[in-house]
Amino acid sequence: MNVKTELITFNTGMALENGHKLDSFELMVESYGKLNKTKTNAILVCHAFSGNHHASGKNKVNEIGWWDEIIGPNKSIDTNKYYVVCCNNLGGCSGSSGPKSINPSSNKPYGSNFPLVTVSDWVNSQKMLMEKLDIPYWHFVVGGSLGGMQALQWSIAYPDKIKKAGIFAAAAKSSTQNIAMNEVARESIRKDHNFHDGNYLEHGVIPKNGIKTARMLGHITYLSEQHMNQRFGRKFQDDSSKVGLDVDFEVENYLQYKGEKFSEIFDANTYILMTKAMDGYDAASKSDDLSSALKGVLAELLIIGFYSDWLYPPERGKEIQIAAMNNNIKSSYIVLNGEHGHDSFLFHSDKYSQIISKFIES
Amino acid sequence: MNNKLSKIINAWVPKEGKVIDFGCGDGSLLEELMKTKNILGYGVEINDKKIESCVSKGVPVIKQDIDKGINEFKSSNFDISIMARSIQCLKDPSLALNRMLKLSKRCVVTLPNLGYWKCRLNLAYGRMPVTPELPSSWHETDNIHLCTINDFEDLCKKEGIRIMNKVFLGSNGAQSNLSSLSPNLFAIEGVYLLEKQ
Repeated sequence: MNVKTELITFNTGMALENGHKLDSFELMVESYGKLNKTKTNAILVCHAFSGNHHASGKNKVNEIGWWDEIIGPNKSIDTNKYYVVCCNNLGGCSGSSGPKSINPSSNKPYGSNFPLVTVSDWVNSQKMLMEKLDIPYWHFVVGGSLGGMQALQWSIAYPDKIKKAGIFAAAAKSSTQNIAMNEVARESIRKDHNFHDGNYLEHGVIPKNGIKTARMLGHITYLSEQHMNQRFGRKFQDDSSKVGLDVDFEVENYLQYKGEKFSEIFDANTYILMTKAMDGYDAASKSDDLSSALKGVLAELLIIGFYSDWLYPPERGKEIQIAAMNNNIKSSYIVLNGEHGHDSFLFHSDKYSQIISKFIES
Repeated sequence: MNNKLSKIINAWVPKEGKVIDFGCGDGSLLEELMKTKNILGYGVEINDKKIESCVSKGVPVIKQDIDKGINEFKSSNFDISIMARSIQCLKDPSLALNRMLKLSKRCVVTLPNLGYWKCRLNLAYGRMPVTPELPSSWHETDNIHLCTINDFEDLCKKEGIRIMNKVFLGSNGAQSNLSSLSPNLFAIEGVYLLEKQ
């Protein structure tokens, strides 16, 4: 597989939805496969809240991409046929401009001063990326969860630059419960004594405990009750592999381990920024309702939900489907079992993979 | 779906119309209507394999149990709704008919005829009918609300549903003199174009 990882600079900068302007910014971009001569085979993959540009294959430190089960040679998103692009979103912490970047006006890391970007801002920056890569339009823009919101926003914001959109385990706006969960996560970060109002890098520390707790809560919401029961039940963790003395159950050990790992790599300000973008997104915010918001959409939509997902349950996808049908948009709404709750969108299953590849090819 | 049946339905579907097909199966009827009549069609289906076929044909499809939702699509302004060979599988066929006629002014319904003489013969011998059109045995069939042509037309009358057009298919799957003359005895399938009075 032809993998290319590059940092692309946008010297012209961009105006943000909240009125701020970024004078210049950088995006960390990974791409797979090749753009064909007619430039008709480009696919944009949008990552979810904690994802990044590394979607497929192994990177230099041998990490497997977050959507490797779906993207690759002869997989659902077939890199032998398609030129697949994925970038770390603006405000991220995997190489693109974000809170960890140096603020040119102060020569210190932005920290909490990095502007709060939105889903629309991401889509606008991805549009600039598309032009930079000399791609006339996307054959398919796809993502799960927060990535699905970007795919939806693409179809609304740039109707003639996108042929098909894949909106998986997503919604046209976050629910009250989604916002509530995210606020608990943010609060645990803010209340970490190492947070320093977001300027922890200047103090040479990171609010590790806060991020860890936030992630542990997040993990519970990403999995289904059934999946947790099956995977962990009430089994006790054996002493030899306990991460701490306080741990009794396997599920505790799992959350502790996952939280700890995440807290070592993920930036706290990015956590706050990404969840704020997710909470703030409402596809209908500039219209009377979702139906009027989708008025100009030309892309064909594929909306997939999972029965086991209680964070963004399938009914939320159906709201998009109904609004699409009201606008005579060619749109399909498919619900699959999914064993992994909200995280189901990340994993291969025969049905899921078949539907994605058939939709891309149809 | 056989050629003859899809031709009959095709003739009743308005050009460039907006169509919803409940129990659309592999999407072949909608695919044909998309090609020949340039319609905008949506299929409703519960079977995942059939849904996959729809997606590969480029037919928009919604995974949905028809028993649980016809009303959900009422904001969509359909020209016509179709329910071919499915109404007998529903928990409440009469409610479904009325709901379809709220989605769209007209609807097409096709149903197997339990009054067909071979079915009657089966019953005369003391057995539940098993025919090419009704191939499953009583304990395996999805057909929980079978009726005869006369029964169905009675229901339409009772519900204030006008039969705008009807065609009866004989044993060869096409219209025949016998099936038109005495449908309740000789038709294997009734094909109806309905409208709310």
